[in-house]
Amino acid sequence: MSDTNPFEPKIVAYVCNWCTYLGADLAGTNRLEYPSNVRIIRLPCTGRIDFNLVIKAFEMGADAVLVSGCHPGDCHYTAGNYHARRRWMLARPLLETLGIDMRRIHFTWISAAEGRKFQETITEITDTTRALGPYEGYRKLAEASA
Amino acid sequence: MEQELRDTCKRLLEEGAVDVIIGYGQSMPDGPVCPVFIKKAEDVGRLVWNRQCFGNLATYLTRKEIKALGKPAIVVKGCDERAVVVLEQESQIDRASVYVIGMACEGVGDPPASKCGYCDVHMPRFADAVIGEVANEPVSQDGRYAELDAFMKKTPEERFAYWTNELSRCVKCYACREVCPMCYCNRCIVDKNRPAVIDTSSTPMANFAWNMARAFHQAGRCVGCGECARVCPAGINLRLLNDSLAKAAEEGFGYRAGMDKDTPPVIGSYALQDEEEFIQ
Amino acid sequence: MSEIISREALLRAVDEWLKQGVPVLGPSRINDAFVAYAPLASSDALALDGYIHPRNSIKEAVFPKHEKIYAYHIKGSGVELEDPERSVAKQIVLAARPCDAAALPILDHVFNWDFKDAFYNARRAATTVVTLACTEHDAQCFCTSVGLGPAAENGSDAMLLPLGDGTFEVRCFTDKGRELFAGKTESSGQAAKVPAGPPERLDVGPITEFLKDSFDNPIWNELTLRCLGCGACAYECPTCHCFDIVDEGNAAGGYRAKNWDSCQFEMFTMHASGHNPRARQAQRQRQRVMHKFSIYPQKFGEVLCTGCGNCTRNCPVSLGILNTLMDLAAHLDTTGAK
Repeated sequence: MSDTNPFEPKIVAYVCNWCTYLGADLAGTNRLEYPSNVRIIRLPCTGRIDFNLVIKAFEMGADAVLVSGCHPGDCHYTAGNYHARRRWMLARPLLETLGIDMRRIHFTWISAAEGRKFQETITEITDTTRALGPYEGYRKLAEASA
Repeated sequence: MEQELRDTCKRLLEEGAVDVIIGYGQSMPDGPVCPVFIKKAEDVGRLVWNRQCFGNLATYLTRKEIKALGKPAIVVKGCDERAVVVLEQESQIDRASVYVIGMACEGVGDPPASKCGYCDVHMPRFADAVIGEVANEPVSQDGRYAELDAFMKKTPEERFAYWTNELSRCVKCYACREVCPMCYCNRCIVDKNRPAVIDTSSTPMANFAWNMARAFHQAGRCVGCGECARVCPAGINLRLLNDSLAKAAEEGFGYRAGMDKDTPPVIGSYALQDEEEFIQ
Repeated sequence: MSEIISREALLRAVDEWLKQGVPVLGPSRINDAFVAYAPLASSDALALDGYIHPRNSIKEAVFPKHEKIYAYHIKGSGVELEDPERSVAKQIVLAARPCDAAALPILDHVFNWDFKDAFYNARRAATTVVTLACTEHDAQCFCTSVGLGPAAENGSDAMLLPLGDGTFEVRCFTDKGRELFAGKTESSGQAAKVPAGPPERLDVGPITEFLKDSFDNPIWNELTLRCLGCGACAYECPTCHCFDIVDEGNAAGGYRAKNWDSCQFEMFTMHASGHNPRARQAQRQRQRVMHKFSIYPQKFGEVLCTGCGNCTRNCPVSLGILNTLMDLAAHLDTTGAK
């Protein structure tokens, strides 16, 4: 990347409608600035977040992915986030075996009241990913398949 | 043991206890062993039992053409029996209407298949009839995942390069899916096109997506029969991939698919105390 | 008088071709148990012995498993179409088995029938096929039952025949073959002895006759019970050529591609209405055998099979064409007639 065109990472955030999305909204209404690198995708619940969605984000050029939802016990659908947590406990070893860059996949619990936490999380992820650079591994895979 | 198997099957068919025996037979006189479906008592001579009895016959229990044949008896090795247990757990079969003939197995293949080196289910455990007897040594978890542990010593970049190379050979024939007893969905995710989740083309990226998806759908369900790897026409080391999820289930939850039908499966259940150090 | 080439000289030629930027596809050891045709990175990767038949076929050289036929980009309010590169660079297939090479002239019929497939023809014209004659066979080989043999010349531009001492006799059949080996061979008095090949396992004639009226015969239900409906046989077969057209894209653009397809998949004949004329595996297996031994010969005068045995070797349940034909032959024997 040149100085005139520095690398800006693309972050995709899959968030649940009832907690993290409202948390992001709260950040907005409180005028808490967070980087515009993030593309927020709203789903009803983290329980609905399919493992394939994270892979699709990388396939389409994302440099990092965030999955975020309600704290355990607060799920609007009672247990969706528990299922999601269990799912990710099993999916992460698979991703590690495949050599996917785990520094680029993040998980958080952010409630509707945690606007500041949303701001901090997005800022941190953007800074970390900018330092890591573009996800070359997946880019090369996509180019080899184009 | 082969004669005892044939006698048992003859009796079952003559008594009308079952309509069809799903077992192993010879495809051609000197040919490889293959699945056979015996419907008449006089044909039980076609059944064989030897070290070439690869094949997890449990995959036939959910196929519509086989179900149409009537009440089955199925010949299983210990590894195959685990698949029958999972099918029962997942309500895909009514255990009472399947007659399970469990074979005591010392291993298949010559030289023995690698999975047999750390098998602890040489003896069937839930069969309706058991044929033969063989010692059952417990195997430590370390032995079970030795290849995976060695593989994980590589860096993430090395692993990614390895899988990109291995999976580029995938031709999307789906032999791995068809041979797997746990892959019984009427419409597989890769066959869906409204919307299309997984690209059906055979490109490096789309092959990655397919193999990842199938491996993940085996989370806590793969019984380690190794058939996927044996049948892959491209020689991809699928066992290594599926083992990473089997290991995650065992290390994280002490769970091994198909060992006990009353333990709740890892996917589809949850615990309030699941650890979450990776979730901020 | 014959022309011969030593193993070393052959490997040097491979490295020379690769250095010139010509891709070479040849049998390669993938791992301990596995030999398959693959693009060679160097002559070290070439496997010339220690196997009967690679697990796949050479059809990828002329019929890739995934091939883009056009692409498009959304530019502003318009669409830009992009044709793929039509001219194909020269490529060599080396040490193909005669049963693999013989598939190419058979495929030429269907790809030049009611529509001339420019993609196939361009690749075909750009490919030089050098076969490696067989010195042994296994129980799955049946080339001699379909009119071929261990040194069949169909589809070959040149052939290497092992002389047993590490050298090969070279026979060139076409200009492409002669051009490839020009200046690389030496004259010799040695001539290769070609083995007889597998014994004729069955007489295809009566089976072809039977197939004509076999559409409703219940035997298909029996023969095909163990088929799992995967694509292993079709994809590793040198003559299977069915393909699916897919459109992939997003808001920025996309492409249309030709992908391999298998008649054994349940979705193969699924209509948009939801009706499936071949909803059962028995119907799909019947179609496979009839296509190869009845429909294709009726249309093009040649059986759509070269007896390579790959279907049986790759089949998870050891089904395959030879097994099915032998079961049909046995059925004909026992029933005495159609």
